[in-house]
Order: sequence, then C-alpha cells, then structure tokens
Amino acid sequence: MSSTKQYKSIGDDLWKSRTDKINAELFTMAYGSLVVQLIQDYEDYAEVNKQLEKMGYNIGIRLIEDFLARSSLGKCADFREVGEVVAKVGFKSFLNITPIVHHHPAPTPAGGVGPSTTTPRSSLLPSQNAAAQAQTHSMPGASFVLTIDENPLAEFVELPDTALPTTAPEGSTAGAPNQTGLWYSNILCGVLRGALEMVQMQCEVVFLSDTLRGDETTEIRVKLVRYLEEEVPVGDD
Amino acid sequence: MSLVALSNPVSAQIDGALFDYFLVETVNTLRQSSAVATRRQKELEDEMAKANLLPQAPNQRIQVQDTEDEALKLRLEGIGAQVGASLVERLVKDRPRFTDTLDSVKFICKDVWTAVWEKQVDNLRTNHRGVYVLQDNSFRPLLRISSPNGASDAVTKARIYLAFHAGVLRGALSRLGLQGTVVPEVTNLPQCVFQIKLPKS
Repeated sequence: MSSTKQYKSIGDDLWKSRTDKINAELFTMAYGSLVVQLIQDYEDYAEVNKQLEKMGYNIGIRLIEDFLARSSLGKCADFREVGEVVAKVGFKSFLNITPIVHHHPAPTPAGGVGPSTTTPRSSLLPSQNAAAQAQTHSMPGASFVLTIDENPLAEFVELPDTALPTTAPEGSTAGAPNQTGLWYSNILCGVLRGALEMVQMQCEVVFLSDTLRGDETTEIRVKLVRYLEEEVPVGDD
Repeated sequence: MSLVALSNPVSAQIDGALFDYFLVETVNTLRQSSAVATRRQKELEDEMAKANLLPQAPNQRIQVQDTEDEALKLRLEGIGAQVGASLVERLVKDRPRFTDTLDSVKFICKDVWTAVWEKQVDNLRTNHRGVYVLQDNSFRPLLRISSPNGASDAVTKARIYLAFHAGVLRGALSRLGLQGTVVPEVTNLPQCVFQIKLPKS
C-alpha cells in the first residue's frame, strides 16, 4: 500500500504533466450559468440537485477512463486506499485541489468505531470477528469524508435565501445531512459515484455540509454500499 | 504579502478534458431541462387557451421538436454569453480602449480565442460593412466529434455544440460595446466558421 506522500507526489506529477489546462474561471462561470438555467427550468431545488448529480454521473463514467489511462495506478487494496487516491490523485489531476480525507471504517458487528450508519449489523460468527476487524476498511459501510477547502466551482458564488436549507425537522436521523435546499456543487457527487461505479464499487455520495449554505466546511461523504460483480452494462435509462 | 502579488493573482487552472466532458454533458442536461420547461410552458398555454385567455388559435403553434431545439440553443448561447462576457472583462482590464470595431474583432480573434481554445483564429475576412467571418481550421471542440452514421451526420450533430461557443463570442462582443449576431456554421469537421454581423461603427 503506497504511503500518502507517494499519492501526493503522483497527483502533483499528473497535474504537471497535463498539457491541456484551461482557466478555471471558464469552468466556474459556465457551471454557475448552468445552475441558474436549471433552476429557472425546473423551479425545484430538489430536482436541480438530482439533475446535477445525474450530469456528474455521466461525466464520471467517462472521466475514470481518462484517469486510469493517464495514471499508472493499479487496483486499490481497500476502501481506505480508494479515499486516498480520490483525494490526492483524482481531485488533484482534474481540479488541481487536494481535499483532506478522513476515513471511517465500516462498523463492526461488535458495534465498534465509526459514525452511526444505517448499515444493518452483519451476521458474522464471533470467531470471524478478528478477521472482520482487519477488513473493516473494505467492508460495505466503510466511508471517507472529503473536506474541500477551495472549491473552484463555488468561487464568487452566493446562494439566494430561497436556496438555503430549511431548518431540519425534530427527530431527524443523527448525522444525516439536511437535504432540503440546493447543493450547489452536487455535480461532484455524481462524478465520484459514476467513476467509482466503473471500478466495481457502488457508493452513496452525498454532501454533508457546504460553506455556500452557511456551514463551516464543505464536506462530501463517500460510503461504500457494495462491490459490484462484472456484468453487462444496462442500457441508459 | 506584497502588494504586487495581490494585484496579479495567479489564475487557477483546471484540466481541459474535464471541461470538454462538462460541455458535452451540459448539452444533454439542458436538452432535458429545456424540454421540461417547454412542456410546462405549453401546459400553461393550453390552460389559458381553454379559458379563452389566449388570442391566437391553438393550431398556430410551432412544431414541438423545433421549439425544443430552439430552446436548447438559446440556453447554450446564454451560458456562453455569460462566460464570454466575464472573460473579456478580465482580459481587457489593463488595455487601452479599442479605436474601432475592426480592432475589437481582431482582439477577439487573438486574445479571446487563445484564452478559450489555446490558438488564434486562422482566417478573418470582412466586407468592411459590418460583417466579419472568422474561420478556424481545427476548432478544438470539434476535433474529436465523430458519428457512427458517417461524416455528414457528425456535422449535423456537431452544430448544437457550437451554440455555446457562438454565445461566448456574442458575450465577448457585447462587453466590448458591440451588439451583434454570431452565427456558427460547420461544413466539414473540424473546420468551422463564425459569421459576425455588427452594426456599422
């Protein structure tokens, strides 16, 4: 397993070797105008979130090919490594930013460490606990959280009051992000979901917080739902 | 932090391939969203027609397909215009004003083209009466478009992608004080032509 320093330098090298770079402002402006247009067309923030995610998914399934072709990285040993590669190599080589990554192993049957998730307790026998502990970073339910400091998409962006989240109702699930309102950079969630799906990992990718909405940080959580078997791809819906 | 460093910020960059994929998906996403918006508009018109609020007869409506393509083109051009306008604002910051329209168009051919597509326009023609034809022999966004149905089909499909870029030019021109129309045309990939019509200076 490569050390984090190695991934950082791989990411830096990939970024430097890219010949085809453009001014980030083009992207920021185009994305901003797109979001405005989608809001005008759909008139529903939840729907806009969905469309942005879907658009990101379509980009992600192509982007991963580009990424794999340019980097010479092999298969990741576990989900923890996936998080490292995504943050230090993936984001760096496309957006020239390196989010901070925090890993959360899957909760063990003994109710071990990690944030509360809705994954059902696995039915491992007690004798398999030791092996399970060692593998919690690969088990479905493992997740990592990316904390983004400078989001190129959101530069100079301010959300109108109507796009901000309404207060969460009483009794909402602890740790579940408030999903009302607009997640401006939701395209990123789709890109991650699409890219990871193409390398046989079905993941749930959601925003936990966004500085545009008044939160202190911008965080994306990527949670492994299950590994996918190789199968014939289904046609586009 | 020295004041000089503050005045000339290093512009952030992102990968060009990402932007290419993004534009392709923008077209698809806007195609859907414009269909939704057009449908909503039609339903509203239908309701109003039923309540006899609309003066015209329903059978005067344009064919659905044309409207949707038009709506998509408008949206792409609008987004392009925003991008072009803000781009030009940044590029002309430290330059003296342009003396005449031809100078402005030349600026577009050189600086704007380079800022967005990393090269200059290959050919600029004008009739000195407000019509300018800009020709690019290997337009970057068109370099990798192909269609399984042959070259002519690829050309037809490529047209819609030019709407965004035409919008960039229109937005750039408007920020230079020139209101005009930009019509893109492509006959054989990757060569394309932008015809700009400006009012006489």
